[in-house]
Amino acid sequence: MKKFIVIGTFSLVLLGVSLALTEPGNSALPQVEQAYAKECGACHIPYPAQYLPKRFWERILGSLDKHFGENATLSPKALQPIKAYLDSRAADSASGNPRIMRDVAVNNTPLRIVEMPFWIHIHHRMIERKAFDAPKVKSAGNCGACHRGAANGQFGDDD
Amino acid sequence: MKPRHFLALSLVLLMPVMAYAGAAQKPIIDGYMAAAKAENAAFSGFSADRGKAFFLAKHDASPDTPSCTTCHTADPTKAGQTRAGKDVAPMAVSKTPDRFTDAEKVEKWFTRNCQSVVGRACTAQEKGDFITFMASL
Repeated sequence: MKKFIVIGTFSLVLLGVSLALTEPGNSALPQVEQAYAKECGACHIPYPAQYLPKRFWERILGSLDKHFGENATLSPKALQPIKAYLDSRAADSASGNPRIMRDVAVNNTPLRIVEMPFWIHIHHRMIERKAFDAPKVKSAGNCGACHRGAANGQFGDDD
Repeated sequence: MKPRHFLALSLVLLMPVMAYAGAAQKPIIDGYMAAAKAENAAFSGFSADRGKAFFLAKHDASPDTPSCTTCHTADPTKAGQTRAGKDVAPMAVSKTPDRFTDAEKVEKWFTRNCQSVVGRACTAQEKGDFITFMASL
């Protein structure tokens, strides 16, 4: 019995070490960003905070019980750091890019990134071609269908 | 030693531990069993068959998610897909051994998905039946 415990403990430690060595990408993210990616990335890619204004994120986090047709509630403990993270990284925060907010009316709170004027401007040819209706894509919100680096926040033409 | 060798060696050494898969779900099943007895004095144990029927059933709470199978597919040994297009690891414990081993995670998803699909909280018996079914595959 004792032998099994020793072998078990030893192998768990080894497994931990090897996982830490083989997956350096995730552990490099700040903890709060990891929490956001884990919680919000369970059902869809973790949509980049900087592509939507603060008032959008507030509305989303305040209505997680009715989240695009599903219940996505989080415990207050899990919600609090995510709220702080999104607030500090939103399009209209100090770290945001003013170009993302271009043409967004003050009284307009877009519901989705795909309703943001910058997004429509970049993707207008795809919209005309109805590329987002393809069965493999499912919806324009499925960024990873075309942008392979979407899960890691990469949305360039080549990603 | 290369990281890959570390991983291989640790998996080999873990095999005796992994042979007891299924036992890993016991603490959570036991928790739901105590709750089911408290909910219903006539409770007489969980049933994989009832869990299967519950998993496959269609509900009227939401047209977006009428059944567990909307995202998990009717075959729990296969990967599913969320409505937003993200893969969901198979629910069957034989395919995803760490399913139903983290009580907080299990409660989070039952809370969300029972509201989304069934339109109410699930009973402890429904949860226990569900896990018993997934552990039986």
